[in-house]
Amino acid sequence: TAQTADKDEPINVSAERISGRPDREVHLDKNVEIVQGTTVIESDRATYNILNDEVDASGNIRMRRMGDRYTGDELRMRIDSGEGYVTNPTYHLQTNNGQGKAERIDFQSQDEAVVEDGTYSTCEMPDPDWYLKSSRLQLDKERDTGFATGTVVYFKGVPILGTPAMSFPLSDARKSGVLPPTIGATSTGGLEVTVPYYFNIAPNRDLTLYPKVISKRGLQLGAEMRYLGQTYSGETRVEYLPSDRETKTDRYAWSSLHTQTFAPAWTLAWNLNGASDDRYPDDFASTITASKQRLLTRDMSLTYGSSFWSATLRASNYQVLQDPIAPISRPYDRLPQLALHAERQDFNGWDLAADVEATRFWHPSNLVGDPTYAQPSLYYPRVGDRLVVNPRLSYPIIHPGYFITPKLSLHATSYSLENRAAGAPGSLSRAVPTASIDTGLIFERDASLFGNAVTQTLEPRLFYVYTPYRDQNNFPLFDTGLTDFSYAQLFSENRFVGHDRISDANQLTAAVVSRFLDQSGTELARVAVGQRYYFSDQNVALPGVLNSQTKSDLLLAAAGKVSRTISVEGNMQYSQSLSKMVRDNYGVRWQPGPMRVLNLQYRRDISNLASPLEQLDLSAQWPIAQRWYGVGRINYSLRNDQPANANVGNRIGKVAEALLGFEYKADCWILRLVAQRTPTSSNTATTGFFLQLELNGLSRIGSNPLEALRKNIPGYQMINQPNGGEFR
Amino acid sequence: CGFRLRGAEQTRLPFKTIYLGFADNSPLGVELRRYIRASGGTEIVADRKAAEAVLEPLDERREESVLSLNSQGRIRELSLFYRFSFRVLDGSGKQLLEPTNILIKRDMSFNEAAVLAKEGEKAMLYRDMQSDLVQQILRRLAALPST
Repeated sequence: TAQTADKDEPINVSAERISGRPDREVHLDKNVEIVQGTTVIESDRATYNILNDEVDASGNIRMRRMGDRYTGDELRMRIDSGEGYVTNPTYHLQTNNGQGKAERIDFQSQDEAVVEDGTYSTCEMPDPDWYLKSSRLQLDKERDTGFATGTVVYFKGVPILGTPAMSFPLSDARKSGVLPPTIGATSTGGLEVTVPYYFNIAPNRDLTLYPKVISKRGLQLGAEMRYLGQTYSGETRVEYLPSDRETKTDRYAWSSLHTQTFAPAWTLAWNLNGASDDRYPDDFASTITASKQRLLTRDMSLTYGSSFWSATLRASNYQVLQDPIAPISRPYDRLPQLALHAERQDFNGWDLAADVEATRFWHPSNLVGDPTYAQPSLYYPRVGDRLVVNPRLSYPIIHPGYFITPKLSLHATSYSLENRAAGAPGSLSRAVPTASIDTGLIFERDASLFGNAVTQTLEPRLFYVYTPYRDQNNFPLFDTGLTDFSYAQLFSENRFVGHDRISDANQLTAAVVSRFLDQSGTELARVAVGQRYYFSDQNVALPGVLNSQTKSDLLLAAAGKVSRTISVEGNMQYSQSLSKMVRDNYGVRWQPGPMRVLNLQYRRDISNLASPLEQLDLSAQWPIAQRWYGVGRINYSLRNDQPANANVGNRIGKVAEALLGFEYKADCWILRLVAQRTPTSSNTATTGFFLQLELNGLSRIGSNPLEALRKNIPGYQMINQPNGGEFR
Repeated sequence: CGFRLRGAEQTRLPFKTIYLGFADNSPLGVELRRYIRASGGTEIVADRKAAEAVLEPLDERREESVLSLNSQGRIRELSLFYRFSFRVLDGSGKQLLEPTNILIKRDMSFNEAAVLAKEGEKAMLYRDMQSDLVQQILRRLAALPST
């Protein structure tokens, strides 16, 4: 054994035979091992030149350097700088199992190597399922990036993609690079091929480009930019297809969300969306995630908020992507709306709150085919200003076992209206006081639920409201409607949402909730029942809605985990006057393990007879064979749910949405096959089929088909993430 | 049937002082503060270091997703989600309650013809979920072992 001093770490060499000239060079023969720090070189023969600090080795080279492994025929290496080369090598990188073989590897430093005429794969050698073949491949461990030039990607021995240059990460980190391409076919677009490219601009911002060839239409360019800072965050998405071959027009859609805080109290926010034409959602159903929306929001607001009061200035309107067979009424623009909110809690026991809202409502009533706004009308003037003042005063008495909250409020409203029906007044006002008392008791006991010790609560609650009647038949309807009948509704003073109608009330709500809590206070289950009793007729109504009753529908709800793997949910709205359920749903979820979930839900809503809904919704993710996972959802419409004016025939049962997908997970790649059917308007549905091959290690970020799976199957888990990704 | 009126010992939090890491104008923070004051025995302090317990919000998010389309492709029902995750530390930074997620969901019908009213209904449901969330947070806090 010989030893030489080095600047940093000592070099140890060993071999069966050692000869040479002291202080100049050492010749090593048979079972040679040269060790310096984390670098180990083994070979049959080697010469170590002490003056140059250089190793020349040959025969069965095996080198380990910073966890990476190399073999080869001949090696030359300067130990201190890490420069050198190895011929006819194989290599294996520690961080992501990246490996391959080459004609030659040139080491440019400790961190950088250039692989000449080599391959790269994250699959096990010697027969990888996929690999890159590249004339020059630069591996930069410091930047964590591989950069390949003159590259062909082989899968199962077949070349599937050729590219003059590409980059990929050498670890699991987010890196710029090509994302898994998607190949598909849709009924509206023909063959579609997307090769997304991801730019990791900074840890808190990125940009993804989605160039997409749609055979029937042309080349669509998509881009998504996301950013997040200390005081701002947002994302913007744009799709643009110049001169669609079918329509001969430019087609585009865009969407932008942004929130920004400045000078702590100020917040600026926008949510802007747009599309080129009414048929955009029909023709591009598979692309933008918001394609189900035919009402596109454009909303901007500026808020000043402190702990006791806030002010919001807002402008909003909507773009309507009209469906001519079942036209959509465009909502009013709010240009602008100024809202002030002030609140002081626990001021000597009193809670004080006040809202002031001033709004200019505006409607372009010249929309072709718009059923509601085509003529000047009593309820829908074209322009109107509304001022609402709503002070509230309450004295909550809260104890562990009970609470009593008496409350007084006033709703004062004035309108100034233009373009009304002949004879209707142009200015209106009203002031409606309301008195209410909300009271409840909270009982507890020790109980057991499916064999577990739990605390069961019993919480009866009464809520009485008195509001005198004010005639509001002449008032417009800018933003007001009836809500679903729900628990939140039961304990609201007004039956309507929006400020255009204030219901008269002399009514009592009675409800009981019982919760089951485990030792940590986690709610395992709850059951609830509630009903409202009217002591006088309800005279304030929406046009065409009759609602004088002595009691409301009965609400019943139950939800909870009945075992470690099964949870159930049921909500019922029962009409005693009709003796039937008007709105109900029942669901069960079985999740016996990772990647295994089965959801079954039945939903019915016949509260609005013009467009009844009755659906059966089944979705699942399940391993179906070794390495195969199946996902699927079918949402089946059990009755004709189309409005009477939609002249599309009387179809009784119909698939509303369907999706079927398979995922195959090999050690170093994943294949996804997804088939999807989405209705887009009265007469059309888009059927699409997508195929995606993800080669592990070339990128770590999913794209479109995955998104469709995640949105459709509650509880879906990504199969290549150890913790299953998002869990809902 | 064994039910007793809930008493102060069931709702009292196991610490004398608590710091709430919400922004001043957070509606959730305001409502939680009111109930912690009402639970008696716990003072809300403004100095994080002086508190026996620190409630640290980790994530507060409101999301909605389309629950069902009708066969015309119109949105008929939405699911609204209110996600909140938080943890509780003691004054020295030791974890008293590991990061805990609470997810509250409400389904609502949707109708494009009444989209402004539906916007108001969403706000009402989120307020209702917020009250529900406050009660669930309080029950988790009250169930912690005393320090």
